[in-house]
Amino acid sequence: MIEIKNVSKSFGTLEVLKNINLTINKGEVVCIIGPSGSGKSTLLRVFNNLERITSGALYIDGKLLDSRLEESEGIPVPPNEAFEIYSQLGMVFQRFNLFPHMRVIENVMLAPHVVDKKKKEESKAVALDLLGKVGLLDKAKAYPVQLSGGQQQRVAIARALARNPKIMLFDEPTSALDPELVGEVLEVIKLLANEGMTMVIVTHEMTFAREVADRVVFIDEGSIIEVGTPKEIFENPRHKRIKTFLNRMKPSG
Amino acid sequence: MSDSMIRIGGILLSSFIPLLKAGIMYTVPLAIISFTLGLMLAFLTALARISSNKLLRSVARFYVWIIRGTPLLVQLFIIFYGLPGIGVTLNAFISAVIGFTLNVGAYNSETIRAAIQSIDKGQWEASKSLGLSRGLTLRYVIIPQALTVAVPPLSNAFIGLVKDTSLAAAITVTELFQVAQQITARTYEPLWLYTEAAIIYLFFCSILTYFQALLENKTKKHLIT
Ligand SMILES: Nc1ncnc2c1ncn2[C@@H]1O[C@H](COP(=O)(O)OP(=O)(O)OP(=O)(O)O)[C@@H](O)[C@H]1O
Ligand SMILES: [Mg+2]
Repeated sequence: MIEIKNVSKSFGTLEVLKNINLTINKGEVVCIIGPSGSGKSTLLRVFNNLERITSGALYIDGKLLDSRLEESEGIPVPPNEAFEIYSQLGMVFQRFNLFPHMRVIENVMLAPHVVDKKKKEESKAVALDLLGKVGLLDKAKAYPVQLSGGQQQRVAIARALARNPKIMLFDEPTSALDPELVGEVLEVIKLLANEGMTMVIVTHEMTFAREVADRVVFIDEGSIIEVGTPKEIFENPRHKRIKTFLNRMKPSG
Repeated sequence: MSDSMIRIGGILLSSFIPLLKAGIMYTVPLAIISFTLGLMLAFLTALARISSNKLLRSVARFYVWIIRGTPLLVQLFIIFYGLPGIGVTLNAFISAVIGFTLNVGAYNSETIRAAIQSIDKGQWEASKSLGLSRGLTLRYVIIPQALTVAVPPLSNAFIGLVKDTSLAAAITVTELFQVAQQITARTYEPLWLYTEAAIIYLFFCSILTYFQALLENKTKKHLIT
């Protein structure tokens, strides 16, 4: 579904991603873990072009979206087609990024209505359906500011699902939440996993990653150190750096 | 003593209606028309200033530079007394509308641009990830929030404009201040007449301040910050 080849990304002189190769397969749940500042968010944001790659190539559904390689990978699709393809990846942000001036229902129905040009009624039906799915039908008329962090993040998930994305990207969806609100959001993500949604999840919740991931990617200082099944990464990592990291992540021993 | 008080009282009373009328017929329409047109201009200028087109950006910057760098009174004189020199003769009221519109447009474009740029980058990113183009994002996500941020400074600008319309007296618009000048010329009571004019301005501005507070409460409600 997504394939990145030899991708690097620099901010000025700071090289944040170094020659990364990774493939995300259809129906797969991939969790990305690693220390703070290692480039996890940047990697995720490269997938939907929130960050443009500095070198390498990016494929989605077999189509070349962006190529910055020396040797030609072919000609990338035209910009408007690329924009459309990128927008088929739903994204959920650490800080929700809901639209504060719109009601919950309007947050969710905006994209179906103005991007897919669905009629208002139809967009609303889509939105209500999704709000039901994340358990927030009764909050449809509320404004984001009136919701708890966990509820806001569930709205953000419903919003990201509203255009029927092929892949969902999550950037630390629970890091901004009080501990008692983490569970409700993870439940929704698990629900999506059970439905077979392709997902890439950056997370610090190791128990969750272990439970939900098909593959785990460990990244440090901009490089992929190891990719494996949860069992391989959590029980028997080949790299010492991963062991050190996991030990530090464990809540009090 | 009481004779002169009666005389002044009579002058103030008889001039009250003409002054108020000048305010309602000229000052208020001049302010409202110029502000409405000026806000549209300010909007377009703000969008030009943040556009990716270099020519648009330069034109907008040039316009703001000219207007902000020259006195309003001089601009009004150029429009009303100067333009006839190249065959463009405009009546006084239209000249004033043009001058004030250009000023409102230039000064408030900066306010609107700052408001647009104050909106969190995450709002742009969320919109982009949902497939909203730049235009759709501005229209549905950024501008509604930016307007809320801009309402207090914009309403201050409007109140400022109401007072600045008194400059139109210098190009013969018979607005409030001009009428006060005319009556003073007849009655030789500048202290009392200009004070009366000031009180009428104060009255207009107080009403506007009241509406400003209402508008701010209405727009502030849902915003987190
Ligand atoms: N827009 C930017 N401009 C400059 N540097 C950036 C930018 N975005 C990220 N960086 C830098 O890139 C590096 C990787 O950042 P990134 O956000 O991808 O890390 P992360 O693994 O997601 O960290 P965290 O766990 O703290 O979220 C960091 O050193 C960060 O300071
Ligand atoms: Mg991050």
